Amino acid sequence: MMRFILADLRRLWAGATVVVLLVALATALGVTVTLQERALRLGSARAADKFDLVIGAAGSETQLVLSSVFLQPAPLPLMSGDVLAKLSKDPRVAWAAPVGFGDSFAGYPLVGTTRSLISSTVSGFAEGGMFGKEGEAVIGAAVKLPVGGEVKPMHGSAATGGETHAGVAYRITGRLQPTGTPWDRAILVPIQAVWHVHGLGHEHGEEEEHDGEAAPAITRAAATTDEHGHSLFEAVREQDHEHDHGHVHEAAAAAGQGEHGEGEENPDHHGIDPDAPIVEDFATDGPGLPAVLVKPKTIADAYKLRQEYRNGNTLAVFPGEVLTNLYGTLGDAKLVLGAVAAGSQGLVAAALVLVTVTHIAQRRRQIGALRAFGAPRSSVFAIVWLELFLLIALGVGLGFLIGLFAAQMIGSVFTDQSGIVLPVGFTDEDLKSAMLLLATSAVLAAIPAVLAYRQPPAAALRA
Amino acid sequence: MLSLRIEDLAKSFPGLSGPVLEIASLTITPGSRVAVTGGSGSGKSTFVNLITGLERATSGKLVWNGDDISRVSEAARDRWRARHVGLVMQDFHLFPGLSAFENILLPARLARVADAVTIGRARELLATVGLLRPDQRIETMSRGEMQRVAIARALLRKPGVIVADEPTASLDAEAGEAVGRLLLDLAEQAGTTLIVVSHDQRLINRLDRRLTFQAGRIVSDSVSDEVAA
Ligand SMILES: Nc1ncnc2c1ncn2[C@@H]1O[C@H](COP(=O)(O)OP(=O)(O)O)[C@@H](O)[C@H]1O
Ligand SMILES: [Mg+2]
Repeated sequence: MMRFILADLRRLWAGATVVVLLVALATALGVTVTLQERALRLGSARAADKFDLVIGAAGSETQLVLSSVFLQPAPLPLMSGDVLAKLSKDPRVAWAAPVGFGDSFAGYPLVGTTRSLISSTVSGFAEGGMFGKEGEAVIGAAVKLPVGGEVKPMHGSAATGGETHAGVAYRITGRLQPTGTPWDRAILVPIQAVWHVHGLGHEHGEEEEHDGEAAPAITRAAATTDEHGHSLFEAVREQDHEHDHGHVHEAAAAAGQGEHGEGEENPDHHGIDPDAPIVEDFATDGPGLPAVLVKPKTIADAYKLRQEYRNGNTLAVFPGEVLTNLYGTLGDAKLVLGAVAAGSQGLVAAALVLVTVTHIAQRRRQIGALRAFGAPRSSVFAIVWLELFLLIALGVGLGFLIGLFAAQMIGSVFTDQSGIVLPVGFTDEDLKSAMLLLATSAVLAAIPAVLAYRQPPAAALRA
Repeated sequence: MLSLRIEDLAKSFPGLSGPVLEIASLTITPGSRVAVTGGSGSGKSTFVNLITGLERATSGKLVWNGDDISRVSEAARDRWRARHVGLVMQDFHLFPGLSAFENILLPARLARVADAVTIGRARELLATVGLLRPDQRIETMSRGEMQRVAIARALLRKPGVIVADEPTASLDAEAGEAVGRLLLDLAEQAGTTLIVVSHDQRLINRLDRRLTFQAGRIVSDSVSDEVAA
């Protein structure tokens, strides 16, 4: 029987190929949507896993999570520095780490933070070790910079035409192990350095006061885009040649990138002392902060802290919970995409039934002859059913492979861009949906098979 | 070797005023060789379809060696036909994409009766009908060769009766002659009852008996001149 079916399919290979491809594409569409949605959900949940509680200034919960957990570059309002001081002293807190963002280098976001945050969220170093001085940096696993190399931060990102902080350079002391989170793409520097670069903290007491109270002040000084339209590389090159070319020096100074204290008129730009020791004692009131990541000691503490810091001035969120709300939206999108995929599968199914029923009508003689010459009726049914089912099953199988491949492609592009590793893979749920698809195709294939089964052989032979 | 007894057989189709076939009484003895002739539309194919169980009689009895096939279900008729009838049609009804050998075996394989003996017999039959390349694809054969493959297929399961509906009508004279002779020889060797619908005078003359149909009735039942002489 298989030989007969295969001979038949060989004869009708063009039609058979089209059927397989149609089924494969319709299946792949559904599979990609399912895999991608699940991967996105799992990947982002894993990224948020390490962060129990995030506290920031009053504003959007979603933005707070997107900026702190996913390092999405967007302006966050600042909260007063005494929040961190209070948290540091709180007995319910295992550790509280400030994070400061806004600068970038070579397309990687710079995140100011503490050693305790790094060591408690990352499993260790792949190369080198932790920063120990103000002028040192640690890079995430996906940052393509050499350990020992230099990082010259710029405001905002190259894409938005940021400007470099003249004279500020960090030395990379270590590369972290991968976490599968956006933090893999980050350059981590001491928060203290970020403050100093932006003229906060230490001797600039008044400014700190000023910034701390003026909550709407924005970390991302990138808002002040480079009027000269300098790209990152231009800016760096200019800086390198600064001593040789006076006019470049002028431009840099005009852009507020004073070196040797020339930019003092711009209070936002200051240098760091690369060899200064890092102080991570935030017991005293520090400068304003966009976010503090908090590790509560117990779950009960976490809820109490969240309750306490949800007041008019600050916002406290469980990133996992905010994500769950986001998934709600994502779920709607999935529903729409899923409906599109199901619709296309339905159309393909309808087209298939139409094609095969026509095909059976054309094969009446052959089917009639099979029975006339002694093939049992059941084998006629089996041949027609198997022939179609094989094609559909092949298409479904191929569709799952294409879907997996497509989801992986999309996932890797996504990982490149965001650092979030998407765990694309099949689960029992997919096995179930594959079974469901196959069961449906088995029923579908039975339609022409029943038609063939019921065809009277004599009438078929006369035709 | 089967005998046939027909009583008050009638076949009507819905929408037609009268029956297309009406036979009051007919007996065919085992091992006899019967020619069926008549004009187009006289009911010859209907006769073939009824006696092979491809169609069900509207009324009457159709008894092969004691089995009345006009009373049993479609599936039972299928089984009976597969077991007892070797069918040869004008249009061969072979399956493209398969070899001559595979075509001969296909119905037996689908009925799951193709054991080693049957497979060996298929090879012998191919040689008997004069085909030297069992693995030749059917669509690359001449019409005469195709009909010989069809004859080998009809003989595979050692049927009690061979029924051929215009087996030479679509062949040229020479191939028709060869196919006709082959049918007669093989039926004789096996001692099988043979019923051949044909217009081919030379073939008809070689058979023992001639039934002439007209408008669904047997108008003449004669012993062939040649054989009688
Ligand atoms: N399924 C059918 N429905 C209606 N009429 C039919 C059917 N099959 C055969 N006939 C009619 O029965 C008559 C005999 O047909 P047939 O047995 O094929 O003749 P022959 O084989 O002698 O040429 C014809 O008039 C034909 O039109
Ligand atoms: Mg006819």
